Amino acid sequence: MNLRIETIGEVSCVVPVGRLDFDAAPGFQEALERLLGGAGKPPAAVIIDGTGLEYVSSAGLRAFLLGARAAQRSGVAFALCALQPAVREVFELSGFSRIIPVHADRASALAQTQPGRA
Amino acid sequence: MDHPPVSPRARTARASLTLPAVLTPVLRWANAVRAKVRGLAQLLVEGRGPYARAFENIILALVIFSIASIGVESIPGLPQWATRALHVAEIIVVAIFTFEYLLRIGAARNKFAFIFSYQGLVDLLAIAPFYLLGFDARWLRALRLLRLLRVLKLQTHFLEEVVEERTRDLAEKNAALEKAQAQLKAELEVARALQLAILPAAFPTRAGCEAAARMIPATTMGGDFYDYIELPDGQIGLVIADVSGHGVPAAFFMAVARTNLHELAVHHIDPGECLAQTNDALCAQNPLDLFVTVFYCVLDPKSGVLRYANGGHNPPYIRRAAGSVETLRGAGGLVLGAMPGGRYPTHTAQLLPGDRLVLFTDGVTEAFNPAEELYGAQRLADEVHVHGGGTPAALVERICQSVTNFAGTAPQSDDITLTVLTWGPP
Repeated sequence: MNLRIETIGEVSCVVPVGRLDFDAAPGFQEALERLLGGAGKPPAAVIIDGTGLEYVSSAGLRAFLLGARAAQRSGVAFALCALQPAVREVFELSGFSRIIPVHADRASALAQTQPGRA
Repeated sequence: MDHPPVSPRARTARASLTLPAVLTPVLRWANAVRAKVRGLAQLLVEGRGPYARAFENIILALVIFSIASIGVESIPGLPQWATRALHVAEIIVVAIFTFEYLLRIGAARNKFAFIFSYQGLVDLLAIAPFYLLGFDARWLRALRLLRLLRVLKLQTHFLEEVVEERTRDLAEKNAALEKAQAQLKAELEVARALQLAILPAAFPTRAGCEAAARMIPATTMGGDFYDYIELPDGQIGLVIADVSGHGVPAAFFMAVARTNLHELAVHHIDPGECLAQTNDALCAQNPLDLFVTVFYCVLDPKSGVLRYANGGHNPPYIRRAAGSVETLRGAGGLVLGAMPGGRYPTHTAQLLPGDRLVLFTDGVTEAFNPAEELYGAQRLADEVHVHGGGTPAALVERICQSVTNFAGTAPQSDDITLTVLTWGPP
């Protein structure tokens, strides 16, 4: 899995591409932690853009859960957007879509994500 | 007193016998000198320390200097002070070479062998003419340039030693690594055995009910489990669950989750309530932030009424006696262990005679083949539809075969777990 981080104003857009499985989860988790708890000033919001995310295993879900918690701790809004149908189903089945907001696309995620409120 | 009397003559003889005792200080001194020489020899010509190397380099420099001075001396019309200076230098050089030569003899274990060795002869030839004949034999010292070869030998020797040391180090580290790996493997085997031992051996006997289950652990070991629970009112609890992640942490969390659920199920007949309680228990003690997806249902074997609640797990299938396949939908809750205070609604379904309930984990539907395609829910539904008419054991076997055939040579990254239950009225 590859990871790209784009900065739009005060919002960080994380774009994982590929399969977020057991092997890829630690790297993804680390990237989120760096973004949220790193030395610099944390962004106002973190949005995960799932356009290129093909698959999320349970280990991947755990990385999302830990990311959402870290965001909550540092008062950073945390949301997902543009999930592929299979990944969206995983989030719905596991109940994660209830604790992490999921938006249809990046534009609506940016519009609806209130910085500072996770 | 049985000592014989000692005559004065004998006394004299004894005194003369102790004469060497007078020499003792001299001998002691000689011994001390020998020890000093040996120590010095070890320091300068035997060892491989910095002093030995420095000494070696000084000798080399002197060799080169004395060869060069031959050239300088041959320059016609050299001023007298220069000739004298060179002569003094020559004396100093020979003195140092002699000192070195003697040290080498002193250091040699077999002194004769050294004196007649190539190096010993070269060293002697370089100084002997000066003493014996008084004639300048600096050309002989050219032979001493052969010492350069010795330096090369020395360098190679050092290099060999370094390589040897590194190789030894590496071998030791490899051995340690192999040992650690073997230990880790053994621990993983224990965890794997634990995981399998936790699974129930047999479904509780109830007229009309039959069940079969199977778990194929992943190569990296996951945390799937299934469970049958005999409830006090004669109903049967059925669990299928999947812990996030792999390895020993997942196995531990699985054991904790299974035990909690098993205990709480007896006190909370309502499946949703049971999951809520289990979730709170798991959240209270979850240092590794793991979580588990759980589908829990309670079957009344008399009526075929199935009450169920879902904590983030893949919804199971019901294969009706006629062959159609339905998904056990109904709003579920969050995976267990992620957030305390969650609610898990209980839903109800009615099993009819000959229906089959198929519980599975995502290791089945998310098995990949070498082309990185997913097995998917549709393939599973098709298998259930086409082959679900036989015994539960046959269907379990059939699906496992289908998944492993599909995956082919692709490594199994997740546990594959299946439970099939048939119900008929008693």
